[in-house]
Amino acid sequence: MKKIERKDFLKLGGGAVLGGLSGWVFSGAPFLGFQWLAEWTQDQYVPVKGFEKYAQAVSDSCPAGCKVSVRMIGERAVKIESKEGVCPSCQNALQLTYHPERISTPLKRKGDKGDGKFVPVSWDEAIKEISAKMNSLIAEGKANSIAAINKNESLNGQMMEKLIRSAGSNNVYYEPSLKSLTSSALGGYIKYDFKNTDYVLSFGAKLVEGWDSSSDMQKVFTDWKAKGTKIVQADTVCSMTASLAAEWVPVKPGTEAVLAFGIANYLITGKRLNSSGEEFGKWSQLIINKFPLAKVASYTGVSEDRIKKIGDDFSKAKNPVAVAGKGAYGVSASSAEIIAVYCLNTLVKSSSATLMKNSAVSYTSEFAGLDSFIKSGNFSMLFLNNSDPVYKSVLGEDLKKKMEKAFVVSINPIMNDSANYADIILPSLSFLETATPENQAVVVNFKESKDAKEIIIALSKAVDKTKNTFAFSNGIDSFKISGKESASGARFSFNVDKIKSEFDALDKKFAGNAEYPLFMIPVEAPLVGDGDGLAFPYVLKSIDPTVFYREKLLVQINRETGKKYGLSEDESIVIKSERGKLSKVYVHLTDTVAPDTVAIPLGFGHESYTVYGSEKGVNPKKIMAADVDPLTGTADWWSTRVKIS
Amino acid sequence: MEMLKKIFKACYDGIFEGTSKNMRIALYVLFGLTALFIIFAIQILFWGLGYTDMDNNFTWGAWIIGDLGLVGLGGGAFTTGYILYIFRVDKLRPIINSTVLIGFMCYLFTFVFLLFDLGQPLRCWFGFAYPNWGKGVYPASMLTEVFFCLSFYFCILIVELIPVILEHKVLIKNKYIAAIAHYMHLLMWTMAAGGTFLSFFHQGSLGGGMWGALYAKPVWYSHSFFYMAIVAAMAGGTSFMTLIPYIAGKIMNKQYVPMETFQLLARISGFIFIFYFIFRLYDLYMYTFVNAPMGGREFFDMWGGYYGAWMLVLELLLFAGPLVLLNIKKFREQEKFMVLGLACAVGAIVTSKLSVLLHGFAAPNFPWKGFTAYMPTIQEWSITLGCFAVMILIYMAFVKWFPLFPHLEHDEHDAHH
Amino acid sequence: MEEKKIEVKMKRKWGMAVDLDKCTGCGKCSVACNQENNMPIFEDDSDVPKRVAFLELMKVTNDRDAKFPDVKTAYLPKMCQQCEGNDSGKHKAEPPCVSVCPAVATDVGDDGVVSQVWSRCIGCRYCQTACPYEARAFNWWKPEYDGSFKKSLNTDVSVASRGTIVKCTFCSHIWKRERDKAAAKGILDINEVFYTPACVGTCPTGAMVFGDLNDPNSEVSKLANSDRAMRLTNVIDDVKDAEKKKALLNKKQFPNPKVYYLTSQSWLRDMMRFKKNS
Repeated sequence: MKKIERKDFLKLGGGAVLGGLSGWVFSGAPFLGFQWLAEWTQDQYVPVKGFEKYAQAVSDSCPAGCKVSVRMIGERAVKIESKEGVCPSCQNALQLTYHPERISTPLKRKGDKGDGKFVPVSWDEAIKEISAKMNSLIAEGKANSIAAINKNESLNGQMMEKLIRSAGSNNVYYEPSLKSLTSSALGGYIKYDFKNTDYVLSFGAKLVEGWDSSSDMQKVFTDWKAKGTKIVQADTVCSMTASLAAEWVPVKPGTEAVLAFGIANYLITGKRLNSSGEEFGKWSQLIINKFPLAKVASYTGVSEDRIKKIGDDFSKAKNPVAVAGKGAYGVSASSAEIIAVYCLNTLVKSSSATLMKNSAVSYTSEFAGLDSFIKSGNFSMLFLNNSDPVYKSVLGEDLKKKMEKAFVVSINPIMNDSANYADIILPSLSFLETATPENQAVVVNFKESKDAKEIIIALSKAVDKTKNTFAFSNGIDSFKISGKESASGARFSFNVDKIKSEFDALDKKFAGNAEYPLFMIPVEAPLVGDGDGLAFPYVLKSIDPTVFYREKLLVQINRETGKKYGLSEDESIVIKSERGKLSKVYVHLTDTVAPDTVAIPLGFGHESYTVYGSEKGVNPKKIMAADVDPLTGTADWWSTRVKIS
Repeated sequence: MEMLKKIFKACYDGIFEGTSKNMRIALYVLFGLTALFIIFAIQILFWGLGYTDMDNNFTWGAWIIGDLGLVGLGGGAFTTGYILYIFRVDKLRPIINSTVLIGFMCYLFTFVFLLFDLGQPLRCWFGFAYPNWGKGVYPASMLTEVFFCLSFYFCILIVELIPVILEHKVLIKNKYIAAIAHYMHLLMWTMAAGGTFLSFFHQGSLGGGMWGALYAKPVWYSHSFFYMAIVAAMAGGTSFMTLIPYIAGKIMNKQYVPMETFQLLARISGFIFIFYFIFRLYDLYMYTFVNAPMGGREFFDMWGGYYGAWMLVLELLLFAGPLVLLNIKKFREQEKFMVLGLACAVGAIVTSKLSVLLHGFAAPNFPWKGFTAYMPTIQEWSITLGCFAVMILIYMAFVKWFPLFPHLEHDEHDAHH
Repeated sequence: MEEKKIEVKMKRKWGMAVDLDKCTGCGKCSVACNQENNMPIFEDDSDVPKRVAFLELMKVTNDRDAKFPDVKTAYLPKMCQQCEGNDSGKHKAEPPCVSVCPAVATDVGDDGVVSQVWSRCIGCRYCQTACPYEARAFNWWKPEYDGSFKKSLNTDVSVASRGTIVKCTFCSHIWKRERDKAAAKGILDINEVFYTPACVGTCPTGAMVFGDLNDPNSEVSKLANSDRAMRLTNVIDDVKDAEKKKALLNKKQFPNPKVYYLTSQSWLRDMMRFKKNS
């Protein structure tokens, strides 16, 4: 055998390697390798497939009752669709239903209130504890110390009212809404016939941005566009409504009421019109004396001529209507303002504003409204029916203190600032998971939550006094007792005695203040509203960088005002009012805001509203004006005197 | 364990032996930057580009500036090579090895920067597998052109660098290697010719065509940018190639390259700068009166925010350096003026790249939006500076251990005789 | 056996008209788009320049041109404008982003919709640089869906990996869905397939209209040809002289988008151009 020498070995080895390599290349292995590499870079979650179908649902948690069509893939709801508009809370229903921070079982507080530490308990335990407390309070004759705060007048709100009243308490409140404010001021809420009006005089009501029923108003707006209805918007900020209106009447912050007085003054004295309301004579005397046109012009910044022209246009229109309720989702109006604006309707004998009432909703309770209750009321037990007064009321901090001493039960699907101070949290469902007489539940309840209506029924049955409040035990039967709307039949009264103090207050507010030279008013970002939207990631995706940018909340200030105070874009400032201060807000200069005004977005600054909603910006309500209106029992928080540094 | 310690000590001694204190500090800094580079490179590659300050409006940042700068200044390699091998200007021979090495490193680190800049670096081969070709050989996408051209040119640079490596005093002793090196030297002109041909394309496309082709962006759209970039590369690149060995020489206190070589290359650079300057003025004229108005914008309205017209003014001022100091013999022959001229030349190129990128992205796309800004994050700084540090280290290594300046050894060798 | 060859050429050219006189800035288009297209979920989405969203609700004011109280506000829903480009010189019509992609991850379909295949994308962001409308979003972070949010993901749109570009495709996956439905019913002519993108389907005031620009009788065609129509930054539209326009189109490409914005408000028309038209 021939000896294998080193160089032969090298030659053999080299040949083997070369042969192997070319074999590997030509086998296609490297290409397969590249393909594997490309596929490996596509590392991502793949949504679970399923059979596609559409299901119908009706929302029973918003007063508008939006009808939606839900696209399902298998058991998963993936899209909310609707031929007509849906309100944002219904549009966000998917994000609520599938929110990872949804409360899945009843929770009981562990640790101090506000710490956010809860442990799961069973439904039986929870109901037992709550009903035991209620029974004992009722037995001690302290039924009136059981209070409830409803989010809105939807069916479960009506049922909560029924439950609390049948327990013997007169302390049922609704979070301030257009309906509650106008009902308290006028004896009924206003049903507007927007379809047949040709002239709309809006006093700060952001008609297309979420005011009243947002889905209805979008339809109304489409109608108006088609018909050529004239919209006149009195507003401090040139928001969308003002921009889309035929005429924007810029008014100084919070002076919409004064403008209403001025126009009323002109219509009464200049056009000799009369109103059918009670105490009209007394009222008009006061208005004419206290708010002559010159004063109105100086307070509002609207010239006398313009006031007269608006009055003329308004009274000459075929079917005019005046609208009150400043704001969009977060509505604010003093009773004097609501009365004055309604007065304008009566002066021109408008047929487009009728006072209504709902058979299942009463806004008359122990206290005139929620804020007066928070201020002066006392309670040993409090039910929060998906409401968030700690966040939304300007007296939230006071409420917190009272809640710390009471037994608080909160019914809501996700945590919010108020539920954080509860003793027991009962998780409720989104409307997609509840059935209505027209359709089944679209999404099967995948947690231990229950329909809010059924929770209320269960509570009622567990408390002796309220055992027979509801003649049924299923949520779906509760639609039978849903409240009916009808004309309120109330006689419109100017209630002069109650509201005359407000005239003096207005005088004082707008006369001038050296210490707090500016006014702070709220603005709202689309979808965020007055706070509900912030827990949803797709809402966060829509927020404009002039509102909230890189974790900084921006307030809008007029450019001239900015120059006066030496402010530059994006500068950090501190806003101080009599009630406190807000720091870590930043400046955005724009002329869409009137001079000497700070327009601050609502909806931010939650303390515990899921990881998506918390720790973002500040909550301006903490420092907003807290004078409680005598008729509506709600703080008149719209315009607050502030200074900036 | 012992083995590792031994290897470490050998490396350490090899690098730091006989170094002065300042040199040691400098080396520590460079190695420190390299370490930071490695740490943040891992973060970027594994956790994504979210850690940079680039965003949907300011799409590119430090790394593309690095790319543009490196490729633009690396253009000195093909220019010098062409002049030496095709025009046979032998006076440039002493500097050619250094030039080739710098060119190689510039293109190598261009690829490294690109690797970080791609969102999916593992898919970089898609540019070759699924190229965006238009009609015939005309690529629809400038980046396709860049991918291919740069890759081929990089291969050419490797081939040009191999003889430098092979001529290491240990390796050259092998007769096979010596033969390869010798023949490669003879054939180097083909590489130079090929390299110049390719360079004209990718200098034009990466430096200018990429931007000039964006017809929807009036801040960049231009027909002539492509050609101007080629001239810019030739002008600035030659200055850069002159400057580096000069600085190295000053640091090590050795005349690595004869002064007349420096002056020749500086003169060539200054000469090309005249053309570049005229071309730039024409370019600005076209932008102001033709290109931007076609897109409905005013060219000078698009300079604002942080990257305002001052950048343009600075660039034009820096032109004065090479135009005056490198062209006029009186100045060129004075060392300090020559160096100033070279530095200004490199500065002009760097400023022009910075302005293309920073001012280009900062310009608003919508009338209601303002100028944006770019503040590189620590990740971007580390990777950019780290790459520069590695480049310096490699150059220093080559200076120390490879015959980067072979004429020196020949001169010494001759001196002994 | 007879072989029926159904060869149908796509005759539709999808376009959109957004009536800014009707848009109230409610934001429902944005939510619908995000839901339909599986937009990634972030705890803090306020870093707007890095935000991944197909539809941006841009707030426009005329602070540039006016002072209080002559100011106005509008919201402009902006999505990929599906540019067409135009034939010029030796360039065939192509959107600015398609011609620059090195890996052909984006391409124009026969129906005019610019597609984006994220699995081909290498993440170089050249298309993003080329886009004049900032319509393309890059996945700077890995798209993730916290917990049960995964349950509301749409199977028609695949979830992109980090480091790739995504953008609005006029919901062409819905077109596919409708085509499949039609095919199941026996309708094989693709020109019989009509659909509505998510944003258009949810607009409560009817401000958004979608349809076939090749059909002169479609609502979107009529709106696009109306006096009120304008296109974003497509300045060739303002050139009234036909000769000059032709020469310019021959010299240079313009985006030629398929999204028309309608407004009767002159302030908004002014704000949509860089120079105020006096």
